[in-house]
This record gives sequence, C-alpha cells and structure tokens, in this order.
Amino acid sequence: MTTVIPFGPQHPVLPEPVSLKLELDNDVVIGALPSLGYVHRGLEKFIDTKDYNQTTYICERICGICSALHGITYTMAVEKLFDVEIPERAMYIRVIVGELNRVHSHLLWLGLFADGFGFESLFYECWKYREAVLDVLEKITGNRVIHSISKVGGASKDLTKEHIDLILKMLDTVESQVKDLEKVFINNYTVKQRTVGLATMSKQLAYEAGTVGPTLRGSGVHSDLREEADWDIYKDLGFKAVVEKDGDCYSRTKVRVFELYESIKLIRNAISKLPNGEIATPIKGSPTGEAIMRTEQPRGEVVYYVKGNGTKNLERLKIRTPTFANIPSLLLTLPGIKLADVPIVVLTIDPCISCTER
Amino acid sequence: MGMLNLIIANVSKKPATRLYPFEIRAPFKEFKGRIIFDPANCIYCGICQKKCPPDAIKVTKAEKTWELNVFRCIMCTECVGGCPKDCITISNERPKTGAKEYIKNVAPATPK
Repeated sequence: MTTVIPFGPQHPVLPEPVSLKLELDNDVVIGALPSLGYVHRGLEKFIDTKDYNQTTYICERICGICSALHGITYTMAVEKLFDVEIPERAMYIRVIVGELNRVHSHLLWLGLFADGFGFESLFYECWKYREAVLDVLEKITGNRVIHSISKVGGASKDLTKEHIDLILKMLDTVESQVKDLEKVFINNYTVKQRTVGLATMSKQLAYEAGTVGPTLRGSGVHSDLREEADWDIYKDLGFKAVVEKDGDCYSRTKVRVFELYESIKLIRNAISKLPNGEIATPIKGSPTGEAIMRTEQPRGEVVYYVKGNGTKNLERLKIRTPTFANIPSLLLTLPGIKLADVPIVVLTIDPCISCTER
Repeated sequence: MGMLNLIIANVSKKPATRLYPFEIRAPFKEFKGRIIFDPANCIYCGICQKKCPPDAIKVTKAEKTWELNVFRCIMCTECVGGCPKDCITISNERPKTGAKEYIKNVAPATPK
C-alpha cells in the first residue's frame, strides 16, 4: 500500500517554497510529483514596462543569492544585441564580483546542507565565514546582496587599490577557513555516513536528465561554461573545472567545496591581471534582433534569451535557470531513497526556487 | 577531528555576532544608505524620474516639485549618475526607523 506525503511547500530544510508529493511504500520513496509556482512574480512580463537599462535591476532581483551573475548575464546578452566590445577592465571586475558571489553562494549552500542533516555547528561555522565575503562585497559595491556591479556597456563601479587590498586580505583568511571546512566535509564520519552512496546518478543519467552545474559535474561529466566559448576571459585566468566521478551526494558536496578554491584562485588571478583603463563604453540607441547568453552560475548554467524590437523596451526576455534544469534529475533519483534522506537529496541540487519561478 | 578542533577553538573566542541594539557597526563608506536631494541647483528636468527603475521619483516642472518614495527606492544610484546638475547624492547612512514614506521638496515661489 502506498502513502502520499507532502514534502513542502513549508519544510524546515527548504529555504524557499517548493512542494513535492512523495509516494511512499513504508518509508521508501517510490515516486515524487513536484509542484512549483509559489513564488512566481511574473518578472519576464514585467520588463515590458521598463527600458533595457532598468531591466538589469529586475534581473538582479530574480535571485537573492546569485544576483550578480543574473545581472552580468543579462547585460552581456544585451551587449550582444548592440554588438559592442566592452572594456577589458569591466570584464575583469565582473569576474571578480561574480566569483566572490560564487564563494558566498557555495558557503551558504554548504551551511544549509550541514543543517539538512542536523550538523548545526557546521552550519553556523559556514555562515560565519560567509559573512566576511558579504562584508567585502558590501564594501566594494555598496550593497550586501544586490551588487548592481554590471550595467549595459561595462561595470557600474570601479575597483580601487583599497578594495583590492580588502579582497586579497579576505581571500587569505577565507582560504584557510575553507581548508578547515574541507577537512570536515570530506573526512567527517557523520557527513560520510549521511552522504556517501546516497542518490547516485550515473554519468549517462545525469547527462540525459539535462542536469547542469555542480550536480552534473558531480556525476563525472566535464562541463563548465566558464571553460566554454561564451566567457573567453576564464581561459586567460587558468580556470579548470572541478569534476568528481561518483555521482552521489558526497561527490556533489566535494565539487562545491573544491570549487571554492577554484573561485579563490580565479579572483587572485583576475586581480593580478586587472588592466587599467575605462570601465564602461557609452551605449546609445535601441536594441534590435535576438541574442542568447549562457553563463555558469553557482548552481549551473543559466540561459538568457533577449529580443529587441527597435524600442527602448525589450520585446521578450526568457530565462532558463539552473534549478529548473536540475529538478527532473531530482525526480529520477528520489525513488528508492528513505524518507529521512529526502531533505539531503533535495538539497544537493542546491534548489533556488525564486530563480526557477521568476 | 576537524570539527572538534573548530568547536574547541570557538569556545575560547568572542561570539561572532554583535549585541545589536547596544553595539552598532558604523556603515561602510561605500554603503548605499539613502538618497539626498539638494534643491539649490535643480532645474526640474525630470531625467532622474525617467531613469528611476522602480518609479520612485516624481518631478513636476510646472510646480517645481521633487518627490521621492523612500519605500520604493532600491538604491541603484541611476539618478545620482544621471543628474546633469549633481543635485542628487547618496549617503552611507540608512533612513532612520520610522522615516516618512515620501520626501517632498517644493521650491519656494520666486517673485516675477
């Protein structure tokens, strides 16, 4: 006999509302039915009333955690419509703020994940370290969460020498703190007991289910948009994608821990190569045509489609966010999992529901 | 044993949090706290109103009024950069608790 248990929309491990109807046989899940739409805000339609510069601020507000990369991706898509080259310094500033954003997002996730399996002190430890990153972001961009660093045509704020010193100093401390965290997440008995061999996804399944980001790389697929053509700048910075082979919750956690080091390395390299010069090119006129831009967010690949019609307002903005692509894989891995492990499995795709529903 | 070391180290340290109402951190220099409007040079051109993403600013040229809805403002500083006469600046102090929703500025009537 099967029982249906609602998981969410309000659940202690879920920071945002998503509902999963779990079909259970005793305490083993045999099926799951998601229902989304609790935080739909209609932002893709809302941009009708705003011009393409103002839309940047709307795109940043799609998500509170990966806000910088939403803004950066949108502005890069619009720059494609205008077919303009932006100053190199602006590109580097975007990379620095984008990667700082990734560091804080991954630390946030590691904390939530630790909380998901009841490791409260580790949760507070992660969030304590994240605070230093947020403080630096506030000092360099003026805001704690919504950084507004990217505008159409370049960057909206320059990095001064003072800011760079702040970032470098913070990176040194955060790197040593991440080393402490790494020891816990990789070697700790409790963490291993709860995650090793849980919800294993084969390389084939991960690829076919269309997963993106750390979820995909945790299954051994070498795919990181920072290595691919859209963001050439990462090639100069010596970026290497983090890939783990096992495909279980443990390897997805490992991917995120090691990506922290990769991001720290990228920020350091970007600062050492930061060129001098302008931070923005003036852009005039109205966009026409269509463009697609893909970038790697903390949660995976985000796709922006923009269409201009010769007026100040865009005709269409379509966003495919990483969690939207990861939900099918979640439904495929849940069957066979015990009810007590469901929160951990749900958290390993790093669900960002506000992104998904826009 | 990584976690045990962290816990033991934490016992001997001060708490990471502040006792908020008694211990207030000074705002950072770059912090976008609130918009300050200086009517002295304003020509009521309305560029700030056009640029404002959340439509928080209302300017009327005929009556020479400049109004900001503090609750709608998102501190994007589009108006600060867009003002041709540099009338709008941003301060790193937050609006005080219990601030009014609107800041309205009406220019004094000048004798013709």
